[in-house]
Parts: sequence; C-alpha cells; structure tokens
Amino acid sequence: MNLRIIGALISKDFSLFFRNRFFALVTVLGIVAYIIIYFVMPSSVDESLKIGLYAPVIPPVFEQLQEEGLEIEVVESDEALRQAVTEGQYVAGVVLPDDIMEKLMLGQKPQITLYFASDTPEEIKDAVGVMVRELVYLQIGQPLAIEVSEEILGPDMIGMQIPPRDRLRPLFAVFIIMVETLGLATLISEEVERRTIRALLVTPTTVRELFAAKGAIGVGLAFGQAVLFMAIVGGISSQPLIILTALLLGAVLATGIAFLISSLAKDMMSVMAWSIPALIILIIPSLGVLAPGTLTGWVEFIPSYYLVDTVHQVANFGAGWGDVWYNLLVLLGFNLVIVWIGITVLRRRFR
Amino acid sequence: MSLKRVGILLRRELWQGPKNFIFIWAVIAPILISLVVSLVFGTLFSEKPKLGIVDEGSSQLVAMARELPSVTTKEYSTDSDIREAVESGAVDMGIVLPEDFDNSVIQGEETEITAYIWGESLAKDRTILGGTIASLIRELAGQEAPVEIEAITLGDEVSVPWSDRLLPLIVLMAVFFGGLFLPALSMINEKEKKTLDALVITPTTIGDVLVAKGLLGIILSLVMGIVILILNQAFGAEPALLVLVLVLGATMAAEIGLLLGVLVKKTTSLFAIVKFGGILLYAPAFVYLFPQIPEWIGMIFPTYYVIQPIVEISQLGGGWPDIATNVFILAGLNLILIVVVILALKRTKQYAV
Repeated sequence: MNLRIIGALISKDFSLFFRNRFFALVTVLGIVAYIIIYFVMPSSVDESLKIGLYAPVIPPVFEQLQEEGLEIEVVESDEALRQAVTEGQYVAGVVLPDDIMEKLMLGQKPQITLYFASDTPEEIKDAVGVMVRELVYLQIGQPLAIEVSEEILGPDMIGMQIPPRDRLRPLFAVFIIMVETLGLATLISEEVERRTIRALLVTPTTVRELFAAKGAIGVGLAFGQAVLFMAIVGGISSQPLIILTALLLGAVLATGIAFLISSLAKDMMSVMAWSIPALIILIIPSLGVLAPGTLTGWVEFIPSYYLVDTVHQVANFGAGWGDVWYNLLVLLGFNLVIVWIGITVLRRRFR
Repeated sequence: MSLKRVGILLRRELWQGPKNFIFIWAVIAPILISLVVSLVFGTLFSEKPKLGIVDEGSSQLVAMARELPSVTTKEYSTDSDIREAVESGAVDMGIVLPEDFDNSVIQGEETEITAYIWGESLAKDRTILGGTIASLIRELAGQEAPVEIEAITLGDEVSVPWSDRLLPLIVLMAVFFGGLFLPALSMINEKEKKTLDALVITPTTIGDVLVAKGLLGIILSLVMGIVILILNQAFGAEPALLVLVLVLGATMAAEIGLLLGVLVKKTTSLFAIVKFGGILLYAPAFVYLFPQIPEWIGMIFPTYYVIQPIVEISQLGGGWPDIATNVFILAGLNLILIVVVILALKRTKQYAV
C-alpha cells in the first residue's frame, strides 16, 4: 500500500465532502446545534417536592418530617402561601387549621386546605393529597401493620441523579457518528456513478488503497466530530481512553454501513432513502438511555446499542474496562462483519 | 394555459411521485413523528411515578392502584419479572403482594411485602409511591381518613399538555414538508436532467408545468394535513373550515416550493436552503410550544396564518369569526406568492412566461 496515494485520496475526498453544501452545513451546524442544546438543558435534577406550609400550630409530624423527596417550608401567612404557590415557588401549599391538634385528639376530622397553581398536573395534586393524609395518620398514631422489606436495585442515585442533558450525550454522539454515513455514502456512490472510481483504478491506485482512503476519511470525520463534541460537553472527563475507543469503534461501524449503503445507492437522494431508515434503527438504543425501561432485550441486536451503553455507563456512571469490555468486544465483532460485507458488495460494484 | 396538458402532467407527476424518496418521506415522516410524539409525551416523559405489582393472590389493591390518577400501574406475573422491570427502570418501584394479603390487612395481622426500588428513581417518586401504597392499604383495611381535604386551584393559567403544544409543529411539518419539497425537488430534478428544456419545446408552457407540480404539492400537503389532524383527534370540530385553511396552507407550501424550484439549481443547494430556512417556516409553532413567547412574534412569520386558524378551531373550539382575519391574510399572502413566483421566473430568464 502506498501511503502517499492514500494521503492524496483522503485530501481529495475531504475537499469534495466540504464542497457539498448540504453535508458541509449539516456537519458544522449539527455540532453547533447539539452543543447549544446540551448547554441549554438543565444541568441538575430537582428530586424533591417543595411544599409550603402555613399553620398557626404546627403538628410535630409536620415539623420533624425528614423524608427524602419532600421539602416542607413554613410560610408566614395564608396570603404569602397563596402568592408563593401562584408564582411556582412551591408545588403545593398546605394550610392547617389552628385547632387541628384539638380536633385530632377528640377524634374529629379537621379540614386541611391545599393550594395548587392552575397548571399543576392532576397526578401531583392527587399525590400531595395522599401524602398529607398519610402524615395525619402518622400524627394520630395509626401505623400500618405492614412490614416492608426494601431492596434497591442498581446503584442508588439519590442526590446524584443524572441530569437530562447527560442522558442525551450518548444520543448526540451516536447521531454525530451515524450522520457521517450519509456523507461518505454519497461521496462513494457519486464516484461510482460518475465512473471516477474506474478512472482512479486505471492509475497505479489499487482497490485496497481506495478502501483504505475511503475508510480513513469516513472514520476520521465521524470520530473527529464525536470526540470534539464529547470533549466540549465533558463526556471524556471520566475514563477518556474507553470513551475514545468506543467512539472509534462507532466511527468504524458508520464507515461499514456507509460502504453498504453506497453499494445500493446511486445518488444523494437514494443515499438518503437508505440512510434514514438505517439511522432511525441505530438511534433506537439511545432512547433506552433517555427513557430507561422502554426497550426490551431485542435492542441488543442493534450494533449501536453497544456504543450507546458503553458511553452511558462510562460517562454517567464512571464504569471501567472491566464493566464494558464485553460491549466493546461485541461492537468490534459487528464492525468486522459489517465492514467485510460492505467492502465485498462495494467491490462488486466497482467492477 | 391548457387544462388538458396540466392534467396530463399532473397524472405523470402522480405516477412518478410515489417512486420518489421525498414523496415517501412526506407521507411517512409526519405520521411517524405524530406517533412518536404521542408515545413520548403520552407515556415516556410523563412525570407520574411508575408502580409495578406482582400479586401472588388476588388482591383488590391491584385494581385500586390501577384507578389512581397519580401513579402509573403495571402488573407482572413473577418476582423475577418485576426485578427485571425495576432494574431496567421500567417501573420506579415494584411490590410483591403475598397470597391472602387482603385478608391479613383487613384483620389487622402483621404482613410483609417486598418492595424493589430502582436505584435511579427520583426521591420524590419514591415518596409519592410510598405514600400511595400506604394510602391504598389503609383504604383496603377500611380505615377512615382522619382529615377532610379541600383543594383550591389558584390563578387562571391552564396546563397545556406537551402533546397538544406539539400539534402545531406536527401539522406544519405535515403540510409543508411534502407540499414544499415535492414541487421544488421535481423542478430542480427536471432542470438537472434537462427534461424541463425538452418539455417546454413542446406546446406545453412553463405555466402548465408549474401548475401541475404545484397541484401535486397541494394534494399531498392537504391529504397529510387531514391525516395528521385525524390521527391527533383534532379534525372533529368544523371540518369544512379546517379543510379550507389546509387548502390555503397547502397552496402556500406549494408556492414556496415552486419559488425554490425556480430559483435553485442543485438538489444539494435546496437541502441546504431548506435546512437553514426551515426554522422560518416552523417558527410560529414555537409560540405554541412555549406559551411564554409573545404571540406577536409568531405573527411575523407567514406560516402563523396557517397554524393559528387550525389551532383555534381544533384545540380552542373557535369558529369562522375567530379565524376570518387570519384566513384573509393567508389568502392575500398566497396571491402575493403567485406574483413572486412569476417575477422570479421572469428574472431568471430561463423560460418564457
């Protein structure tokens, strides 16, 4: 293999890629848009229900309550409470009557008023009502004759929840990598259609050098952009070597898929027709990170699952080589198969 | 202009169109987006905590939990199923009710239930679920609530669900994606392949070609607009008015498409322009997405006059008096666009107008 020829082919493809206004724009705007979306999204998770309480006499249970997920703040007056709830300072306001303790002791039913903002969802209104009732049960000393044996499954993330924007990181990384299939597949299919590939193969350039150059440009573009994005959003601050390995394998996967698509497509439109369904399938695993529990076991048949899971585990949970080696191995296996099929079918088209 | 020739050209466009990638996507994409939105905002992004239950006997608590508006309840058949569901985050908490649970609770006997908690579940969800389970058990035991609760709603702002807020965006996409892209792409394709030159050498005029391509865009756009409104259960009220607005909206989409088709020479340039300019088309939808944005900002964009009447009729129950002004503005904009297309055609001096 002649490295000088490969270098020349790479620089030619690079300039051709950015000469296509659509891909040039998508590449630059894509990264900028993802970065903006990332930084606009909340960087923390509000885990608590903040409730305002106005009570001339505060029952001990309400005063001593130290339950995670529930914050009760005492407010000076009924008017101040109404104001705070309307302004969204509290999810609900609770007003206890001044004779609450006496009534409870006499076995009478005191009336508790709850304030909600008009846009409070019904489920929150219902939940606050249930919790206030439960607190009163505790106050009058009516415990349940139930023993609950609790078991927390997975790492307990109370107080250190993953912000939504960090859940989006694997989605963006996969998107950036996979969108490159469109650019590379268009480059190749247009060369095949215009027969410039054949012209190239008449020169001393070999098919192997051609694939090496196309592969390098595909991997380089996808990997470079993904690394740039992850570096800016802090995705490679934990275990950078694993993240870089995963992104590199992802870029190889995108290149293999681009080879496959360009063996079927004739122009940019047909590249898009083939690429978009492929893109949708490859993005599905990221939805599992965004909304955990929505996907079932079949998602493991999608190669990008192993990329998404690795990036998620490492960037969001600090997983190490020991936790993700299997993912990387499977991804490598998928890559070998897809790139081999891609090269084989594309080679036939060259002839 | 010859209606016969327009008809022949339209028939050809209708025959060739479905083989085009954009035609297929103009049909599939809005339906797909609509389904995803209802899935995502109907279930995935719901703030309700999720409770999983395995009932080893036949407890009433399962049915009671299912009725609760504050919690999403899912049932599982075995302990391992619920463990798996909790581990994957499908539910925030999973409880296993032992056999004869109801009798034990009613008789006040000490009973044990197993609760699995998903490590990533939010503290407030754990609190809500804990309180809800306790409340259900008390109800099952026949305990009378020790308090009376009165809920008062403050202010007059109404909570608009995200699926409703997104409807204008989906409708705009359905109307403008195919309605704009199809005529534009068809024109540019013909220019790239030089078939347009061949066509206008025949008695067919460029006007015939533009009308045929525009009609194709209008038909596709109108059909997709109606389909999306039906899918989102927003077509019930005043269907005749909705169709009128959709026809005018589809006409606007086709006219913009034709304008691009006349001015742009390459497919790649069209994609780049639409990618960049798309924000101007869909901008009014953001006013509905984020009600904090003042409505006058939406009025700057022409597509506002398409979407405002649709939202007014389908979501706010409005009628002709509420939309008349904007419908007239929309019709006026369409007339202006026709003139602009003709001027653009004259200016490019490509074909005799």
